[in-house]
Amino acid sequence: MKHEAPNIDWAGLSPVIALLGGAIVVLLAGLLRSRLVRERAVPFLAIVAFGASLGLGIWQWGEDAQVFIAKGSQATLAFDELTLMVTFIVAVAGIATVLLSWRALAPREAAHGEFYALLLTSAAGMVAMAGAQNLVTLFLGLELLSVPLYVLCATEMRRERSLESGLKYLIIGSTGSAVFLYGLALIYGATGGTDLREIATGAAGEAGGDVLLLTGIGLTIVGLGFKASVAPFHQWTPDGYEGAPTPVTAFMAVATKAAAFGAMLRLLDVGLIDAQPDWAPLLAILATITIVVGNVGALGQSSLKRLLAWSSVAQAGYLLAGVVVASSLGVSATVFYLAVYTMMNLAAFAVIVARERETPWGDDIASVAGIGVSRPALAWPLTISMLSLAGLPATAGFIGKFYLIDAAVDGGYTWLGIVIVIGSMISLAYYLRVVAAMWMRAEVAAVSATAQPRLAGADPEAERPQWELYLVAIAAGAATIFFGVIPSPLFDLATAAGRSLGLL
Amino acid sequence: MSATTAAWLVLACPLAGTILLGLFGRALPGRIPGLVGTAAIAGSFVFAILAFADLQSRGEEQRQLVSSLYDYAVTGSIDVQMSILVDPLSILMMLVVSGVSMLIHLYSVAYMGGDRGYVRFFAYLNFFVFSMLLLVAAGNFFLLIVGWAFVGAASYLLISFWYRRTTATAAGIKAFVINVVGDVGLTLGAFFILKESGTLDFLGTFKQAEEISGANLTAGLILLLVGAFAKSAQIPLHTWLPDAMEGPTPVSALIHAATMVTAGVYLIARMHPLFEQSAAAADVGTIIGAVTLFVAATIGLVATDLKRVIAYSTMSQIGYMVMGVSAGAYVAGLFHLMTHAFFKALLFMAAGSLISAMGGEQSLDRMRGFRKAMPFTFLCFCVGGLALAGVPPFSGFFSKDEILLVVGDEGGWHWILYVVGYVTALMTAIYTWRMIFRAFFGDPVPEAVELEHGHIHHVDVPVNPATGEEEDTDVGFPGPEHHIAERALPMKIAMGTLAVLATVGGVVLIPKTTTWLDTFLEPTFADAPHHDPSDGMIWFGLALGAALGVLGIFIAYTIWGKANGEIAVRLRERMPAVHRFLINKWYFDELIELLVVRPAGWFGRFGQQTFERVFVNGTLVGGTSGIVRAGSAAVRALQSGFLRAYAALLLVGLGAVVLYFLLQA
Repeated sequence: MKHEAPNIDWAGLSPVIALLGGAIVVLLAGLLRSRLVRERAVPFLAIVAFGASLGLGIWQWGEDAQVFIAKGSQATLAFDELTLMVTFIVAVAGIATVLLSWRALAPREAAHGEFYALLLTSAAGMVAMAGAQNLVTLFLGLELLSVPLYVLCATEMRRERSLESGLKYLIIGSTGSAVFLYGLALIYGATGGTDLREIATGAAGEAGGDVLLLTGIGLTIVGLGFKASVAPFHQWTPDGYEGAPTPVTAFMAVATKAAAFGAMLRLLDVGLIDAQPDWAPLLAILATITIVVGNVGALGQSSLKRLLAWSSVAQAGYLLAGVVVASSLGVSATVFYLAVYTMMNLAAFAVIVARERETPWGDDIASVAGIGVSRPALAWPLTISMLSLAGLPATAGFIGKFYLIDAAVDGGYTWLGIVIVIGSMISLAYYLRVVAAMWMRAEVAAVSATAQPRLAGADPEAERPQWELYLVAIAAGAATIFFGVIPSPLFDLATAAGRSLGLL
Repeated sequence: MSATTAAWLVLACPLAGTILLGLFGRALPGRIPGLVGTAAIAGSFVFAILAFADLQSRGEEQRQLVSSLYDYAVTGSIDVQMSILVDPLSILMMLVVSGVSMLIHLYSVAYMGGDRGYVRFFAYLNFFVFSMLLLVAAGNFFLLIVGWAFVGAASYLLISFWYRRTTATAAGIKAFVINVVGDVGLTLGAFFILKESGTLDFLGTFKQAEEISGANLTAGLILLLVGAFAKSAQIPLHTWLPDAMEGPTPVSALIHAATMVTAGVYLIARMHPLFEQSAAAADVGTIIGAVTLFVAATIGLVATDLKRVIAYSTMSQIGYMVMGVSAGAYVAGLFHLMTHAFFKALLFMAAGSLISAMGGEQSLDRMRGFRKAMPFTFLCFCVGGLALAGVPPFSGFFSKDEILLVVGDEGGWHWILYVVGYVTALMTAIYTWRMIFRAFFGDPVPEAVELEHGHIHHVDVPVNPATGEEEDTDVGFPGPEHHIAERALPMKIAMGTLAVLATVGGVVLIPKTTTWLDTFLEPTFADAPHHDPSDGMIWFGLALGAALGVLGIFIAYTIWGKANGEIAVRLRERMPAVHRFLINKWYFDELIELLVVRPAGWFGRFGQQTFERVFVNGTLVGGTSGIVRAGSAAVRALQSGFLRAYAALLLVGLGAVVLYFLLQA
């Protein structure tokens, strides 16, 4: 049998090539002995790689590139607007993460080259996952995303919690992956295809309503729900978030979520669209559980990272509303909210990193007490971030939630819209607690004997937060306000992404 | 200048003021920040007048203008623009809001002079005015919701302005929570209406009002009413308003009397084409308004905290307005909104002056005989009291009677409301003049005597009047100095202006004489049914209102004006059960505690204990103390059991999901 090489659209693939190529360059540069190269040039190269990916993505916008077209089937990887939006989100999150890690402890412990190379590899996996039109590619993307993250979680090797976090994530993550793979296998078994279009044909035909197919859908939803922190598959989230080095947590929180939702949208809304009446009610129930669990879980937290972890669970529930309705509006709303979610979370994590380095309180809420007076340039971004996460008007989080509710109401899930509103109402309690701590409480007095040692370690001499932390915090905070007041540019992008799946 | 440009500038002024004061306020010396804030609002007022003039110069058909700044979000199903609706209703609200706000800002320049948070106060106050103006100018549901939420946030910030006072922060949280409930109602209501009409735009929605009637519309309107009740402190969402008196007195005057709390009335009036289509929703509004106006007045009869008496009176008066606009008396309701803004702001300002003279003390039990010491405050209080009691020719007399006239004219069961309205009018006169007789008549208390000798009473150790806790005068607490109207020119100007307005404000709509307000608002309410009550009913109503007002004052004099209020004591002893019931505010707080707060508390504790103990404390404590060496950390974590629990939960969830599908198949 003559093997025919698949047709590869190199231009279309370029955003991923930039990431993987960057990973190799960074890895090699990390081998150089000069401290200057390792500590300055390597992060810089990583930023260049992310930036190149972002730029190439912009170049490819609207091209709808289909790469890896094997004979007689659909492309396994599509660089349509949905994939590119996820690429943008991942690249922006990547740049921010590199900036946050630049002078952090983690890359120094794990060796700089390896740290950033893992970050870039994971990002490439995320893009691949969001663009996968084939079950095999999808799984490949998932693993390429996950494995580097397991390692990244454990990069602060001399801190127990970091190791614990990495190991827990690995074990639970593997369980999730196994479940996901099993689900994919069942779907393949039921429909006879690994290609999403073949699956769609199969599901519309005789395989529709088949127990095998339905079980497969169930298992894949669990697998993706795990990555997206959907309850009740979220248990790894608080531990994983808290234990991992904070810059890595930031990356995990925003980029993984974008990739998981990108893949979920494509798999469910393209491949399994005809089974929508079967999976939509379930997903709506999961969304409700997630919103309740996330918001209740966040209520009593005193660690900011744990708080954001539970909040990310709740936010995943809101995002699910856009998936449930399986409409072009739903996809747009989900993508829009993912972009917004990235901005507000990056602002929060940048402030947490800054305060971790500056105070002995780690990520405890005490670390931000009173910074309204002493560090207004950090207090404002965190305030904006919290208000936006809670969905207060004039922030991007408000219009994002509005959009999701609109999609839910439009798709006949008014009750889910109500759940979102009530969920955001509950969430005010814990977000406002952080805001109150910043503005209404006095700064917690200096180091006492029993206080934890400085976690930062990075620059022991650094008394004030470094400029790059301010840059990330202020840029992300400003973007949150900007897109809250003038959301139309982002709307246009999200609408294009929504149309790319060919839904109504 | 076109009306729309002017209207945009009305919004721009306080926003600029907020930003300016927020960023650079600290750099400004002395009372300059206060004057900057006042000037910003004065600018708003001037532009509102310009908009008004331009609107009047247009033909009657062209008095509904929509202006869009830019497309906010235009996608498949939502089409939201940054648009304002300029029509007589929004202009009237802009004039009232910016005008009264300007005077209260001026008052605060002096009144808040000794407070450490002077700049912050004016930044918040400007932000509030911006939000309120945005609310009344909004041209679609989206901006309405934005303004609505902003106003709630501003109210929270100002109630807990003295944020180191525990009672103030508690009150702020209470107000915020109830207001968020209202926000949720408003948002969901807007979505219900959007579902039927397909547009968020006001005029677009109203155009198809007749086609969208049905269950969804009624549900949507009742949800909007939840929003209105929360903001306007109507039963059962009213308990935050009396507590909100923890805020500085100018805040009580501006937000919790004159402007924000009337947002609900504005909302119902704005949505009148929809309420016309749904009698059920309108009836809900009418009945709740009537219940509130009665209940609040009865509590006002016994409350002893000066500001709380006025707060209950506010609730009661807004009850009149809500009842009016819900029953179709749109112009009358808005008329009362306007006059009430004048006389209630005046009463609060006078109360603030009086409280200052007492050194921060608010209890009526401790006040007596301030008439000679504070002649100007006394005069202002009397003018406000006469207007509130509805004595002719003061403004409140005309506006209240106008509402009851239309309600009575509806006939049917509305007659009950008519009677309730007049019974409450009598109580209104009684509780208003009870305050005046108790605070200004009788033998002067030491503070009053001190003031007569030319010295404002000063407390050495400031205490929280609500709890008696000792306090600081540092930032986050009330400042050390007190200012009274007799000694501060800005306060005098503000109160004097409002006193004039409270006296003559009724002139815009005198039955059988002037119809200015009616004509002005005609373009907005053109499609609403007209009421044409008989002459006999008009005169009967006017005579009855006047008689009840005078009778109420006489009763108040008999009970509290004579012999230092001995009759009052005897009355209380004669009817202990009634007194206890009223002084406990009809046990609404306890009811809400029982029905809402406690179950929520259980829920929260469940969340904390189950989630925290199992997942947080378990891993945290177990994780750190159990693991000794880094080398074994990984293994330990694996064996801690928690990981197993996680995996087990994952599998249970997995099982549930698969089971769901199997049941489906």
